[in-house]
Amino acid sequence: MTNAAATNKIMTAGEAVEKFVFDGAVVGLGGQNVGRCAMAIVHEIIRRRTANLTVVGCNLSINMDMLAGAGLVKRCEGGTGNLEYFGTTFCFRRAIEQGIMEMEDYSHLGVLSRLMAGEMGLPFMPTKSMLGSDMLTQQAASTGKKYELVENPWNPGEKVLLLPALRPDVAIIHAQKCDPMGNVVIEGFLCHDVELVRAARHTIVSCEEIVPTEKIRMDGERTNIPYLYVDAVVEQPFGAHPTAAYRYYDYDIDHVKLYQRYAREGGKAYEDYLKTYIFGTKDFDDYLDRAGGFKMMNSLIKHMKAML
Amino acid sequence: MNCSLEELTVIEASRYLEDGKTVFAGTGLPLMTTLLAIKTHAPNLCFVCETGPIAPIVLPTPLSVSDPRLQHRAVRLGSLKEVLANLLQRGMMDVGFVGGAEIDQYGNINSTVIGDYRRPKVRFPGSGGGNDILSHAKRILIITKHEKKRFPERCHYITSPGYVGGGADGRVKAGLTTSPRPPITVITRLGVMETDPGTGRFRIVKVMPGSSIERILSETGFRPDVADRLEEVKEPSGFELRVLREEVDPQGLYMKKV
Repeated sequence: MTNAAATNKIMTAGEAVEKFVFDGAVVGLGGQNVGRCAMAIVHEIIRRRTANLTVVGCNLSINMDMLAGAGLVKRCEGGTGNLEYFGTTFCFRRAIEQGIMEMEDYSHLGVLSRLMAGEMGLPFMPTKSMLGSDMLTQQAASTGKKYELVENPWNPGEKVLLLPALRPDVAIIHAQKCDPMGNVVIEGFLCHDVELVRAARHTIVSCEEIVPTEKIRMDGERTNIPYLYVDAVVEQPFGAHPTAAYRYYDYDIDHVKLYQRYAREGGKAYEDYLKTYIFGTKDFDDYLDRAGGFKMMNSLIKHMKAML
Repeated sequence: MNCSLEELTVIEASRYLEDGKTVFAGTGLPLMTTLLAIKTHAPNLCFVCETGPIAPIVLPTPLSVSDPRLQHRAVRLGSLKEVLANLLQRGMMDVGFVGGAEIDQYGNINSTVIGDYRRPKVRFPGSGGGNDILSHAKRILIITKHEKKRFPERCHYITSPGYVGGGADGRVKAGLTTSPRPPITVITRLGVMETDPGTGRFRIVKVMPGSSIERILSETGFRPDVADRLEEVKEPSGFELRVLREEVDPQGLYMKKV
């Protein structure tokens, strides 16, 4: 039996980022839109100003937008930069329009196909998405060759698209529960997090609560990601704020709107946001105090409970 | 008329969703429309959402595909891969339902850029699951505003494929074999256009009350044909309107009543 104590991966967000997120890294972000984004880890990357990142994922939302707004992203490979009802991701949009950041566009299934190749140790994955689209008119800066169009060997004449494996240097996800070894339990939808983690070389998991390994062993079928893929476990209640963690708390509409106001304006206003909520805070708990503290978090818990 | 054109657009779109079918819809008006259909004539319509929920009993009012309200009482809370690959690409989605930034005469959608790709004049969000939906769903519904700039002859950039370069085989030539010849229907405040199966090009099939062929043509950047049998969109029943206002969007977050 694996000795849980010998494989304790609990560390602070600072230690995890220091160890696994380096200048120029390819960073895969879990969660989506206003759901389960690993914001505490993203804050820590910004606080340390780890730069020249390539950010990858299906939907990239406020997590990517903050990194882009802080000037730390040189390229995105993904499906969307979007916050839906709350508008586009303004820092992302501005950085691309100004030529500061490159975007390599795929469909969401395109990104997933690349991650599926990565997670299975395969060089590429076929898909029937993206055919006939202009996503096939640009070549990629990352791999030099974005895709290959082949004929189905078993059905001559049928076109099939091959996309290269995507293996991020580090996957960053937020989960509800994790044990000290790194066995992860995600509640609610999974987004692309499981494929992302299995494709990545290293993984940082932040979680709402650390649970004992004995508890994980009682319900092994509920483990979404076994410890073998996980390198760092960071306990951070409300670590997805202002996005939601299913069964724990709702997303914070007011803070998402507030963020979007600053992001839309950009420039000095956006710098003020970063200063107030990230650079001027010593850690994520400090940020949570500034973002409404106990009162706000309690109301987000109440909103979620009313839905369950 | 007893409702706004925006409301009627949603009500008309909901009539295209048949009971017992499967629909893949994004948030916003596609989701509102889907919920209306489920609560009126299509209680067994299976709604799936790209983040992973399958057949949820949605609580009012989700603002995102990752909204907890969309996960409520789902029969399965799965993953993007399950929904996009195992349902959509596998050919199990009867209807794909999206909004649209720019839609051309062949039903292609641009949600990526205006101008040069590397240094665009305007950068939009990108494909998301949109390309996957248009690539694989057996029937496509699009709900959007009717403005000339949104309906160019040719999209600046094809994010999601309709009939690509046109013709009945426009999609097959591109390799889109999951759904080779889907009807593509776009519903707006002015009327309804649907692709002609022979040409893959939009033609006007219905007009909204108070609208006209001339009005549609003046607000469309290409020149759609007109169907032989042109219909007027039916006004809403009291039931449709009550469910829409009281149960689907009770806070009026997406639709104004006047």
